Amino acid sequence: MDQFLLIALNGLTLAAVYFLVASGLTLIFGLMRVISMAHGMSYLLGGYIGYEIVRQTGNWILGALGAAIAVGLLGLFIHQVLIRRFQDDDMRVALVTLGISLIGTDLMLAVFGGTATQVPIPKDFQIGLDLPVIGQYPLIRLLILAVAIVVGVGLTLFINKTRFGSIVRAGVDDSQMTSATGVNVRLVFGLIFLLGSALAAFAGVVGGTLFPLLPGQDGSYLLFSLVVVIVGGMGSVPGAAIGAVLVGLVSQFALVYAPTYSLVLTFALMVIVLAVRPQGILGRAS
Amino acid sequence: MTKLVEFTRTRRSGLSRYIWILWIAALGAAIVFPFVVDRPRFWLPNIGVRSLWLGIIAMSLVFLNRYIGLLSLAQATIAGISAYGVGYMMVTRGQGFFVAVPVGILAGTLAGFLVALIAARTKAIYFLMITLALGQVFYSYASQAIEVTNARRGLAPIIKPNLGFIDLGTITSFYYFALALAVICYLLCRFVAATTFGLALQGIRDSPERMSALGYKINRYRIAAITFAAFIASIGGVVLVFDRAQVDPNVVSLGSTLDILVVAVIGGIGSLGGVFIGAIIVTMLDNFAQDFTDRYMTLTGIVFIIVLLFAPAGIGGIGKQARRVIDRRRKDTTPAVMESPQQEPSAALPTDEAITKGKQQ
Repeated sequence: MDQFLLIALNGLTLAAVYFLVASGLTLIFGLMRVISMAHGMSYLLGGYIGYEIVRQTGNWILGALGAAIAVGLLGLFIHQVLIRRFQDDDMRVALVTLGISLIGTDLMLAVFGGTATQVPIPKDFQIGLDLPVIGQYPLIRLLILAVAIVVGVGLTLFINKTRFGSIVRAGVDDSQMTSATGVNVRLVFGLIFLLGSALAAFAGVVGGTLFPLLPGQDGSYLLFSLVVVIVGGMGSVPGAAIGAVLVGLVSQFALVYAPTYSLVLTFALMVIVLAVRPQGILGRAS
Repeated sequence: MTKLVEFTRTRRSGLSRYIWILWIAALGAAIVFPFVVDRPRFWLPNIGVRSLWLGIIAMSLVFLNRYIGLLSLAQATIAGISAYGVGYMMVTRGQGFFVAVPVGILAGTLAGFLVALIAARTKAIYFLMITLALGQVFYSYASQAIEVTNARRGLAPIIKPNLGFIDLGTITSFYYFALALAVICYLLCRFVAATTFGLALQGIRDSPERMSALGYKINRYRIAAITFAAFIASIGGVVLVFDRAQVDPNVVSLGSTLDILVVAVIGGIGSLGGVFIGAIIVTMLDNFAQDFTDRYMTLTGIVFIIVLLFAPAGIGGIGKQARRVIDRRRKDTTPAVMESPQQEPSAALPTDEAITKGKQQ
């Protein structure tokens, strides 16, 4: 029983990382109807930048913020220079961002090398917490779970309750009318791209704290976040949360009970969801 | 239907009156290629054969994009499954060429059919993501299933056999074998596209609702087209496996998938023959970029993005793109001529060659 709970908790903390990566992707898609294939690259780049900052300053929060800002600005730059001109052509955006990630992957390998690194955390947080039934559990994993929940709630409120959120939703529904009312729609989309990339970079620092950062992870995290948003429903932040929890739990339980096929089972989850509900669990039917 | 065929022909004849000369020249160049290069032992395997199987696999991707408007990232995986089929029969089962190759092609085609069953209901960007994810399912399976795929070590050696009438063991005859398959695949794609089945596919691409109202079961057509493209990709997989002499998970990795996509986009995502130009450019970059830079992938990525930004129809479409620009110039100078109703069909032309724009609700 306690092993079961332990696996479940591991699955949930893994889901926290998946959710943070996927939330940026689903945010960009939900508002702009394009998929950024460079999202995995933003994750890994964020992790590396966070690692460098934390190693220099010893401050984890500074590292996370620095990575988010740097990669967010890079995202804004990419959007303005390469994507903006054919923003409504989703295929071309997907391909161009794929090209960007091809370049980014190669350059990161050149700069940061092929060895595994991990973002260091302060000594005070490297402790276990006594939980009922389970026993000792690393504090940092629980903190990350909490951070993911805060980010998720914050994002949902941001889109649904704030003025900027309503401008963004209006821009999605009818960008011409929105710009006719005096809103600079291009700026809004640029900001969303910035936010989405920043979230991926933040997820990179968080993920780089729990797991080692390695070349090739950009591809795997892109895939996992794609699976998460496909399962949860494209464009829905609560959907991404549900998708992340499902993917996290399935992969962790599969790792224990069917270790050889854990990845296959994770993807099988996606296939099942697609067969039953092609638009994803919380996705709006087209 | 006959009217539609005639219409397509008349529309094309003006543009491609001299294109066949280009084709004969390209084919001639491909045939004399082994005799004119300075170092055949380098050029034939590294550029020639590799371009041919990259091109065949990319051609299956282009076929899907051009005739049903779906961009599939599972083609490299399907080719890989075909390669694994050949490898399994030859290495694990000890079978010969004439058993292994049909099994491989069958395995790849069947895999394509399964992909189609899952993905045919989705469109545009969803299709892209789902085929990408399905490809990675097989990658993770291939790198773990030790009893079938021998996990990371892969299946080796897969020796090019001597078939009696042709000895594939010599590189020149293997090159011609690959070239023949590439030409057959090209003609087959062209043939299928010109049949009523192919025309129905294009109708479904342009207006699924209307074709559905006409009584076409559009999902069945899509599934059939994806399966056919899988068959083409599987043939590419057979050339691939004999060229590499082994099959390991790298064949179906994300990197290989991207290679195919890069080849298709550079060559021209709407041009069946252009993929071979793309394949030659990519293999040349791969082999010669190392001489002056370590960052070969960066270079490929930059070329890829430049092509996407400035020539979305790829190298194979540059001629048509230029002609369109000239036409537009002419249109600006002599507007009166353009008022004639015959010019109407040309409006539909650009979408035919460029990346099919995703239609999302």
